[in-house]
Amino acid sequence: MDKNLLRYKGSKKVMAIITMLVLVQAIAILFQSVYLAKAIVAMYKGEQWKNIFFLFTVFFLALAVRQGIQWFKSKVAYRFAEQTSSYYQDLLLEKMFALGPRVVRKEGSGNMITLCLEGVPQFRTYLELFVPRIISFFIIPFVIFIYTLQLDKLSALILVIVLPILMLFFVLLGWAAEREKNRKMASYKILANHFVDSLRGLVTLKFLGRSKQHRESIASVSEKYRKATIRTLRIAFLSTFSLDFFSTLSVAVISVFLGLRLIEGEMSLLPALTVLILAPEYFNPVKDLSNDYHATMDGLHAGKMIHRFLEEETAADDTDEQAFGHWDENSVLSLQGIEKHSAEEKRNLLSGIDLTITGFKKIGVIGLSGAGKSTLINILAGFDQPTKGKIIVNGVELSHLTYRNWQRLINYIPQHPYIFSGTVLDNIRFYTPDATEEEVKEAVRLAGLDPVVAEFSEGLQEKIGQGGRMISGGEEQRIALARALLDPRPILILDEPTAHLDIETEHDIKSRMLPFFKNKLVILATHRLHWMRNMDEIIVLDQGKIVERGTHEELLQKRGKYWQLVKAHQGGEKVDTVSKVYTSVF
Amino acid sequence: MTLFQKYILPYFKQYKGLMTASIFLGTLTFLASSALTFTAGYLITRSSEMPYNILMVYVPIVLVRAFGIARPVSHYFERLTSHNTVLTVLGTMRVKLYDALETQALFVRSRFQAGDILGTLADDIEHLLDAYVRTIFPVVIALFLFLFSVVVLAVFDWLFALWIALCLVFIIFVYPYLSLYLLKKRRVQVKEKKGSMYRMLTDTVFGITDWIISGKKERFQKEFTQVRDHSLQIEKKMTDWTYSRFFQLQMLTGLILIFVGIWAGLQAQEGNILPTYIASFTLVTLPLLEGLLPTSEAIDHVPKYQESLQRIDQIQKFVPEEKNPQTKFSIPRNPDIQLTNVTFRYEGSEKPALENFSLDIPFGQKIAVLGKSGAGKSTFLQLIYGALSPERGSIKIGGYDPREYGEQIHEVLGILNQKPYLFATTVKNNLLLGNPDATEEELDQVISAVKLKDYIYSLPFGLETQMEETGQRFSGGERQRIALARILLKNTPIVILDEPTIGLDPITERDLLATVFSVLKDKTVIIITHHLIGLEKVDKIIFLDEGKISMQGQHHELLEKNNRYRQLYRLDSGEQAL
Repeated sequence: MDKNLLRYKGSKKVMAIITMLVLVQAIAILFQSVYLAKAIVAMYKGEQWKNIFFLFTVFFLALAVRQGIQWFKSKVAYRFAEQTSSYYQDLLLEKMFALGPRVVRKEGSGNMITLCLEGVPQFRTYLELFVPRIISFFIIPFVIFIYTLQLDKLSALILVIVLPILMLFFVLLGWAAEREKNRKMASYKILANHFVDSLRGLVTLKFLGRSKQHRESIASVSEKYRKATIRTLRIAFLSTFSLDFFSTLSVAVISVFLGLRLIEGEMSLLPALTVLILAPEYFNPVKDLSNDYHATMDGLHAGKMIHRFLEEETAADDTDEQAFGHWDENSVLSLQGIEKHSAEEKRNLLSGIDLTITGFKKIGVIGLSGAGKSTLINILAGFDQPTKGKIIVNGVELSHLTYRNWQRLINYIPQHPYIFSGTVLDNIRFYTPDATEEEVKEAVRLAGLDPVVAEFSEGLQEKIGQGGRMISGGEEQRIALARALLDPRPILILDEPTAHLDIETEHDIKSRMLPFFKNKLVILATHRLHWMRNMDEIIVLDQGKIVERGTHEELLQKRGKYWQLVKAHQGGEKVDTVSKVYTSVF
Repeated sequence: MTLFQKYILPYFKQYKGLMTASIFLGTLTFLASSALTFTAGYLITRSSEMPYNILMVYVPIVLVRAFGIARPVSHYFERLTSHNTVLTVLGTMRVKLYDALETQALFVRSRFQAGDILGTLADDIEHLLDAYVRTIFPVVIALFLFLFSVVVLAVFDWLFALWIALCLVFIIFVYPYLSLYLLKKRRVQVKEKKGSMYRMLTDTVFGITDWIISGKKERFQKEFTQVRDHSLQIEKKMTDWTYSRFFQLQMLTGLILIFVGIWAGLQAQEGNILPTYIASFTLVTLPLLEGLLPTSEAIDHVPKYQESLQRIDQIQKFVPEEKNPQTKFSIPRNPDIQLTNVTFRYEGSEKPALENFSLDIPFGQKIAVLGKSGAGKSTFLQLIYGALSPERGSIKIGGYDPREYGEQIHEVLGILNQKPYLFATTVKNNLLLGNPDATEEELDQVISAVKLKDYIYSLPFGLETQMEETGQRFSGGERQRIALARILLKNTPIVILDEPTIGLDPITERDLLATVFSVLKDKTVIIITHHLIGLEKVDKIIFLDEGKISMQGQHHELLEKNNRYRQLYRLDSGEQAL
């Protein structure tokens, strides 16, 4: 049983209500069956029609009560499920913001979206179905058993013996099927994914001139997949079979035993017929439970995922404000002994970072992939919190920077600025929805977007982002720049802004960004060396540590890591040797 | 419904046997459980008459047990058979979809922008399996049960049979179609809301830094909750209808049972049937109706299938007509490439993507092509491999138009694109795609040429390593090297590299390029790239701008004479600040 079930708000109350309803329902089932049996017996005996009509009316009313309660019960369960799942959806969103980009990336953006939009409804279905089903499972067979006991001990005995046997087989066979499935999981997964893999690789197959032949492999793998699936299903369906078999057979056995005792005159028709009608009802709750087994399991799993994600550690609430004032040319930010540990990778992404940054300096952060550039940037921009160390801003000591009024000081431009689905105008005004047309036009001009906008048939109203027009990497950067131009803040943080662009575009965008650097603190992480010459200070990161600091000239003279990097990059003939040194170090 | 005729019905014809078996077994299941109830009712009533000999009820006793076993057995085989049927259909549908996509592989991305269209299509086909298992089979089975019940009743009393038929029509026709009609609008609304929730959330997850920096996350939460709550309201109304429909159908079932009961009572009174059968007739209503009641739910799913079918249909629309089978070419061994005054324009655009473009690439030359996005680089490539045809001018590879080669063009040109696809299988199988007949020595040769031999043999499974095994993923540079090895194995005289180094760090980039040029030294190489570093030795560097060549020449020559080139090169190498 899912222990969380009792923790949800209002769940105990809902369970109590449903339990009461199921009890009434069970009694209605008894009435329905008894009066149906009575009506049949009355007709058999050729009693008066008036009497028969009365019996049928009671039967019908009992049925109405039973189904009416079913309806009401479903509504109660649905409302509970809807409220609980929405509540958890809100918590998920809240948590997502609190955890910030690093965790979102780690969890996989697609997974996050799936969990929020598909996992939550699955969870809802689980709550909606499981609660009433499990309560019915415990109550209805019990009530029917008690009543049958009054009518016929032998039948009651059969019912009470069969149920645990049936459950045992159901569970054992289900378990065997699960094991069989897990045993073949690896090969099964390959077979199942082969098709989608083939479609995604179709262009490559085409280029290799193998796309026509590959058709055969689709057919043969589908055939293998079919055989493998059927083999597993043969076992998997056995568990439902056992349920079906025992319940149907016990109805048959009960009716034979009833018949035999009727012949002997040990019983009369009415109780026998009642038992016969009640017997299938006894097994219905088990069947319902097993029918929804898969939906329930999916939902249970989704629920677990949701809880796991919510338990993820968030340091502090990012809604706090801290009184460290504004950032100007006299401001000081210093990091002391900053460490960032990654539990998943079991290593420190950053360690022992001591760094003081002042005023409107231009700081370049350089290092190869995996050196810790993005981790450092995320901590400085207040997207993520260090696991150790302290940060002092203008004399105020802090343990992290995920404060709103710190984030409010920052313009941030990543490698792939996100383009929201909407118009060009919406995208440019993302930070400043109230910017005037003139301001937007000026930003568009400065960012070099005007020739781009001129080509759009709708101009600034052209739809871009998801479902809109595709734009290039350079255009993304220009939009990000325009956004920042409309809402200039004293600190500018850039994470690899130009590495993926063609050299001409890179040249142009750089020339547009440089003027924007004036009178700001700039922190720029990249492996493109040319940026370093525009920086006042260069920080070289290697394996999460600062290995060198200084200006371009100083570092070149030092002939250390930075020098190696420059040489390796411009290297020509010496490339291989130097890069070997380099890659072995990293 | 033409989609139904086009994509569902043919499989009924193709797999007649399997389909019939599934439906037969399904019908049998319900008939067995009905027969069980019928005989059990008879057995009990007859026994209560205390026949002097037990042999009088011997047959029903045997039958009750037989039906009791027949039902679960036939149910089990029905499920297996129907799954086997749909999995067989799945195989055929996959091949069909593959064929449709194969002919237009190079254009799928540009034609269907929406996200992961290929993944969606693969899912669509799987959803269509539900169309059989959850909709078509149950509905057909319900129809058979309906016919069976009415015909059997008609044998006794055709007027009453007609009346019951009318009642049953409510269950299998009126309610399902009424539901479809009632929910139609809501279903569309929910889909819209879901779509916008999806869009909003995607925007948020991917744009999360912007939301955090902008300090406007409450705005998002408010908007999202609004849409969500609205969607929930509509969904609630829909479930309300399903619950209420369930109730109504159950009440209708009760009424039908009473009708049948009273009819049986009257028939017994009139002496048309023995009173012993009253219980049987009355009780058999329930298991029979159990086979009819799921119709509404089954029909509820129809719109989902329609959506999937529409998507598949859309793909089929673009399948080009089959070209005449090409005559076998003898592949030229040292082909030159000549483009003469080529102009190309995309449909609906005024500006040509490539204008009056001429270029000669003698065999063995190394050419680098640079340019901003939209300058015409991809168009240039697609023209060379014959995916597009020029509006004016001519393209010749080894003296022939690339389109004349047909599929054999890939024996002339090897292409390494930006993200070469590596299949979820072993490294070896991925390499063998280049040449299925390659020997072990040849495999070793190519992986050592791309400098991966030591690394791959240091892995526990060597060449048999799975591409995506947990913890052992290959890095971006390594993946490119594997793809390069595959191209080498293919051994075409011309190799085209389309932005192979994007996303790699500068050192990896340089190393990869060095490898590329050393292993491809005897071939024609056309490399589309975004950086200049590593191109010092190519025979020609071409800059494209708006479909024309804006700059071209050898590196040293350009460095000496061209100011702009010098500036770009020094920026790229980090020697200049700007």
